[in-house]
Amino acid sequence: MMVAILQYTPAILDGLLTTAIVALLSIIGAAIVSLLLGVFRSAKRMSVRAAAGGAVELLRGSSALVYLFWAYYALPALMPGIPRFNPFTASITVLSLVGGAYGAEIVRGGLQAVPRGQFDACRALGLPPYQALTRVILPQALSQIVPGFGSLAVDMVKWTSIVSFVGVQDVLYVANSVRSITYETVAVFLVVAALYWVLCLFVSLAFHRIERVLPLNRALRASRQSTEAPLNGRPLSARPLVLQQ
Amino acid sequence: MTWDWSYAVQILPDLLWGVWVTVVVTAACSAVALVGGLGIAVIASIGGRTGRTCMRAMIELFRGVPILVLLYFGFYALPQIGLTLPPIAIGVLVLGVVYAAYCSEVYRGALITIPTGIHDACVALGLPTRVVWLKVLLPLAIQRSMPALINYVLVLYRQSAFLFAIGVPVLLARAQVAGYQSFRYLEPYTLAGLLYLLLNIPFVYLLHRYRMAHVEANA
Repeated sequence: MMVAILQYTPAILDGLLTTAIVALLSIIGAAIVSLLLGVFRSAKRMSVRAAAGGAVELLRGSSALVYLFWAYYALPALMPGIPRFNPFTASITVLSLVGGAYGAEIVRGGLQAVPRGQFDACRALGLPPYQALTRVILPQALSQIVPGFGSLAVDMVKWTSIVSFVGVQDVLYVANSVRSITYETVAVFLVVAALYWVLCLFVSLAFHRIERVLPLNRALRASRQSTEAPLNGRPLSARPLVLQQ
Repeated sequence: MTWDWSYAVQILPDLLWGVWVTVVVTAACSAVALVGGLGIAVIASIGGRTGRTCMRAMIELFRGVPILVLLYFGFYALPQIGLTLPPIAIGVLVLGVVYAAYCSEVYRGALITIPTGIHDACVALGLPTRVVWLKVLLPLAIQRSMPALINYVLVLYRQSAFLFAIGVPVLLARAQVAGYQSFRYLEPYTLAGLLYLLLNIPFVYLLHRYRMAHVEANA
């Protein structure tokens, strides 16, 4: 029964590539959005904090699916002069924003986990706030942020399946076409499920690699290696098992 | 194209019907997820190595596959193997089972954190296993997992919009139909978005109230 769908392998691989590109771009977008929103949510000024908090709650209040439909079908009607989003841009924008809202909470948690004394030390040394953030606080917070963001990234790979609704020809879109031609429903969806699963595994492994090169983790490893027996290549921070969606 | 109030009012009853379906679907999915998750956690904890491995495999499977793929699978593939269910049943089962896997992790965490002294006390009192589970361990585990479980109910409510893909008349599906019929998408999708956001408020209120009660009980 698999033979019938084998001839569509190139099309399915094309779709997989599209899914991978959408996932990669939206994960990068979400990283940027979550850093911005997360830092603003921890800002000293009340108004900035409230605005960022409002944006996060708004974006998390509904599923990415609802926002995608609104951005693609309803938003152009509100702005007649501006040309319509193409499906690809709309998808990546919405996924980045919604993913960023979830990521902002991870970033905020990571910033809170940095000991209070570090902030005071930056102040005492007279570091400008921006430098204090980028040179001192964030490098330490990243070892808290990256594991959480990794499991969000895995979720985002799964979220990309919604882009087929606005006509992006991702792997699910192609699979539906192949299904309607060959009627090999079970085989087609088993293949697609396996492809998504592997893609998720790949993203998860990639984040394990990133965790290993983080400044704080590297420093910790170096200090441990000088005192104890060397670690057998395991990443230092354990991954959280429960995913948030 | 600008906002048309009379059209918005005209489609509102239809959308509110969709809200009702969304609430019913969320309740049904939550029931499946919460009860199923508890079942999975108990089986994994008393089933020995085989039970644990099976449950682990199921959780890993659902973690890597999008809900949409599972929904399509249930909708298109199940009839081929002779199992024809109405779309709403397929939707409830798929969402319910996937989140049962997630919820089982919460229950498992709660079961692990129950102090060993309680187990010892049950053994010392000579309580039968059934009583230990039903009257001691499960009530404790459920109480401890409650905030995380309510959070999953909220997630389920947001994810229920996906069921429009297999034709369940949830709020998003109603908006889409209204849009198709009149070629006006601005009002249906905007109203649907707002209704989805508004409906969060009761959930967030419940969560907040539960957390308050929990904190007070512990203080």
